[in-house]
Amino acid sequence: MSEIKDLSALEKVKVVSNGLRGTIAESLTDELTGAIREDDQALLKFHGMYQQDDRDRREERAQKKLERLFSFMIRLRLPGGFLSADQWIALHEIAGKNTTGVIKITTRQTVQLHGMLKSKIKPTIKAFHLAHLDSIATCGDINRNVTCSSYPTDLSVHEEISSYADKISTLLKPKTRAYYEIWLDEEKILDKKSEEDPLYLDAYLPRKFKIGIGIPPNNDTDVFINDLGLIAIVEDNKLLGFNFAIGGGLASTHGNPETYARLGSVIGFVEAGEKTFKAIYEVLTVQRDFGNREDRKQARLKYTVDRMGVQKFKEEVEKRTGFTFEETKPFAFTERADEYGWKKNPSGNWDYTLFVENGRVLDEGELLLKSSLLEIAKTGKVSFRFTVNQNLIITEVKEKDKSAINDILEKFKLIEHTNITSAIRKNSIACVALPTCPLALAESQRYLPSLITKIEALLEKYNLENENIITRMTGCPNGCGRSPAAEIGFIGTALEKYNLHLGGDHEGYRLNKLYKESLGETEILSELDELFADFKKGRKKKESFGDFTHRTKFEN
Amino acid sequence: MLVEQKLNTLLELINTSTNDELIWINGYLNGILAKQTQKEIQPEVKKGINKITITYGTETGNSKKLATGFAAKAKKHGVHAKLQSLDQYRLNDLTKEEYFLAIISTHGDGEPPAAAKKFYDHVHQNGFKLSKLKYSVLALGDTSYPLFCKAGEDVDEQLNKLGGNRIAALQKCDIDFETEADEWFDRVINSLSESTQSVPQSVVAPALRKSPGKKIYTGKILTHINLNDFDSSKQTFHIEIESEEVQYQPGDSIGIIPENKKELVEKIIALTGIDAEKNIHYKDELISVYDLLHKKLNILNLPERVVKKYAAIIQQEIPATKIDLIDLLKIYPAKDEEQFTEVLKQMEATAPRLYSISSSPEMHPGEVHITVAKNCFSVNGEVKYGHASEFLSFLNEDNELRFYVHPNNQFRLPGEDKNVIMIGPGTGIAPFRSFIAERDATGASGKNWLFFGDQHFTSDFLYQMEIQNWVETNLLTKVDTAFSRDQEEKIYVQHKMLQKGSEFFEWLHAGSFVYVCGAKDPMSVDVEKTILKIIEEFGERSKEEAEKYLFDLKEEGRYITDVY
Repeated sequence: MSEIKDLSALEKVKVVSNGLRGTIAESLTDELTGAIREDDQALLKFHGMYQQDDRDRREERAQKKLERLFSFMIRLRLPGGFLSADQWIALHEIAGKNTTGVIKITTRQTVQLHGMLKSKIKPTIKAFHLAHLDSIATCGDINRNVTCSSYPTDLSVHEEISSYADKISTLLKPKTRAYYEIWLDEEKILDKKSEEDPLYLDAYLPRKFKIGIGIPPNNDTDVFINDLGLIAIVEDNKLLGFNFAIGGGLASTHGNPETYARLGSVIGFVEAGEKTFKAIYEVLTVQRDFGNREDRKQARLKYTVDRMGVQKFKEEVEKRTGFTFEETKPFAFTERADEYGWKKNPSGNWDYTLFVENGRVLDEGELLLKSSLLEIAKTGKVSFRFTVNQNLIITEVKEKDKSAINDILEKFKLIEHTNITSAIRKNSIACVALPTCPLALAESQRYLPSLITKIEALLEKYNLENENIITRMTGCPNGCGRSPAAEIGFIGTALEKYNLHLGGDHEGYRLNKLYKESLGETEILSELDELFADFKKGRKKKESFGDFTHRTKFEN
Repeated sequence: MLVEQKLNTLLELINTSTNDELIWINGYLNGILAKQTQKEIQPEVKKGINKITITYGTETGNSKKLATGFAAKAKKHGVHAKLQSLDQYRLNDLTKEEYFLAIISTHGDGEPPAAAKKFYDHVHQNGFKLSKLKYSVLALGDTSYPLFCKAGEDVDEQLNKLGGNRIAALQKCDIDFETEADEWFDRVINSLSESTQSVPQSVVAPALRKSPGKKIYTGKILTHINLNDFDSSKQTFHIEIESEEVQYQPGDSIGIIPENKKELVEKIIALTGIDAEKNIHYKDELISVYDLLHKKLNILNLPERVVKKYAAIIQQEIPATKIDLIDLLKIYPAKDEEQFTEVLKQMEATAPRLYSISSSPEMHPGEVHITVAKNCFSVNGEVKYGHASEFLSFLNEDNELRFYVHPNNQFRLPGEDKNVIMIGPGTGIAPFRSFIAERDATGASGKNWLFFGDQHFTSDFLYQMEIQNWVETNLLTKVDTAFSRDQEEKIYVQHKMLQKGSEFFEWLHAGSFVYVCGAKDPMSVDVEKTILKIIEEFGERSKEEAEKYLFDLKEEGRYITDVY
């Protein structure tokens, strides 16, 4: 990388940011606006926040001579998605006090809160800090929250694998103290040497970086959609190490053929322990040094891998680690879904996986999800784990406490809620989109539930209501809701218009393809009606809907 | 008559002049003489009268301005005038007074200004005699109010009852008071100069001339926006009124007479059975019953004096209380249409409400903008709205609105190079929007510092985007905001002033003009206390010195308030 090219504007912002500080402190004290300065908005992401505004309200507020209703989304760093009961209580209270109150479980196994005003950022982060929670590096051009499969086959191994999520997160955390200084009033560091960051240097990564750990046979973490997917290889209840899959990523841009969704390429196996950490670290340094810093739409690892070639990339990593990848160990994913309801885990304790539509924890109508979870947390007899499918596991419930927890679930009708929810709804994901996401072209989480209701009726018509069809919707092609990795994918193109994608497999090995462009609801339903009819008639034994549409629509 | 030298010069001039020149000289001298005669008509004040007291009770500063002018004029006549604000006046001195003038305005429903309240109450007490007192009262008011110049009238009458003798009859002035006020003072001086001891008896004030300055405009509503967001507890309307001919200056207000709600008018008509189309004589005009009730009369919260008249007409005992006309009609119905017509004739006209203009004639030509908070209060647990603000809140674009301009000559921008500090929380922002826009349009070079406050940042930041633009273009040098309910402890503009105390004092000391607009109590009181504190603390002065400093600011016209 000796040639000098024009760096993207953001690259300069990062370099001159003085360890991600920028002028965030000054932006915070500006009383005239609820926004922060433009350059600081880019830096704020590294602190786990996005500036957003309520797009529904723009026009009306402009009439009132009021600026846009700016607020901030804050996302927690929760490697493996684990939260103690006390932390849940703290989260509950902070959400109610400083944000919209809705606790949103994300597709990266963490939670985010929306609608936090500028003046509430510091109090929020301080309150999280007291609960031993932070939002460091959950957004921005840096390693984000590390996900880990929620469904262990063996407890001791699961704990061990989970601890990798934690350790990787710590290993790849930025060294700057900016977060502590700006938000927690830690004293300014005079000796900048202690902040030197050999991994991120001063320009961080060219683009976001996602790491996920999958434990076969359940690919609940969608391991191949990560920049770096780690597939745990367990033999005789012992963790041997990980197969590395590099270059996954789902984002693309409408009308830009240079951009595309891509699943990770498995490049080999690394034994557990130091070698694994070393290899992970150097995958990042290769991306840091070889990634595209001129065009952010070509900056993700997947493009670096494709530009260099998988083999070349692998060799560069090996050069840096000083050891070679071993041959990929065999593995098999057979499922990619959450296991709802009570499950005894290998330690003898119980887990209850609760269906949370679109990951939104709130009290709405009859369904008092948020109140019930608070009551459960207050028993102090549980822990919580989020799933990558935006659901919630009440975990570590001892045999003797199970009935007490079950009583609360019964009281709030949550068991009934989870049981009666259709298979297709349980396998659906929608991103946030309107009104807060600045990228959204169409509705998503505000729309998908009602569309699912209509799809349910179609499925019933063909007695297909028990099919676990994975349906995902995103308001843009950026892919937060992993729509390219769904059996039915809806990708927003404009208000009330969606591209219909079909043919993704059920286990997460194959992306879907564009089937029809820019459909309105009526067209979506009539297309699906026809497809379900064909599926009913023409499916092979045990063939999934994704495989069926792939075979019939794209293979010929 | 002339000394010899002068006479010789004159004769020489005459002898050397042509006939035409003599005619011209003759005319020239006549001209000079005519001018001198005018001057000499101004009487020498009688010997022995060398001291008069001129007092004023002011709310907006008009009375004070007049009083100051009169004191200077008196001096020219060889009379030393002691000038004093009525709130500073030692009440015990009244019995010792010989020549005493009071200039007093009237506010709201016949109230004296706060500064004259003690004096007003004092002269309404018995137990002392003012046998020596020779006095005259100049009353300022607004003919749009039913109790026009009432405070001045009361003072005039009470001083007379207490034994005082009028030097000149009470003079009542409308909002364009200058000419009539000058004439009154001339009469006063004239009376003092008359050789006879005759003191004018109680006389009726000269008939009021129709105020030439009070022009009624009819404007079209161009824009009508609630500036507060939907989740605010407040509603503040930004109303733009189109009027090509309107003339005003930044700092002025407009007066608006609110109309009564049609539903209420229709209820009254139905209740009384009166013919809505019937024309009746009200004061000087012929007007239909409907229009009278809809546009003219105050039918809400009738004052006791109107209730008394009502009782007299329908010949029933009615307890003295404030009550709406509709309720009065329900409880004590009028006998017939004729009786109700009589009631209508005895009713008072709706008083206008004043709103500070928030536009600039330079920036918004042909338009007048106002900023109106919907006044909301609770009576016995029932939510009620201020009549005028409710009326204005229901207007729609394209509606017509009648208004007049109420000048506020005290509240004016200083020279273009002077720095100003503007403290205007809530609708107090209105005249400052006018000031800033004016300075923007005229390219004034002075620095501008704005203090604004309200309840919530996200929903109540009035004119937020305009203020942001003014900051971006450096028109506003500094802005400090205080949103009282965004945190546990209440933060108001005065807290922000104190926070910036050092800089505030620097500005002050460098000659800045300070303006305060908005709620009188507690805002303006707290702001003034804070300014004193800033002078003490950051100007390193004793309490007394700080008070003197502030007093001087007021005297210099550098601390100006428009509070309500």
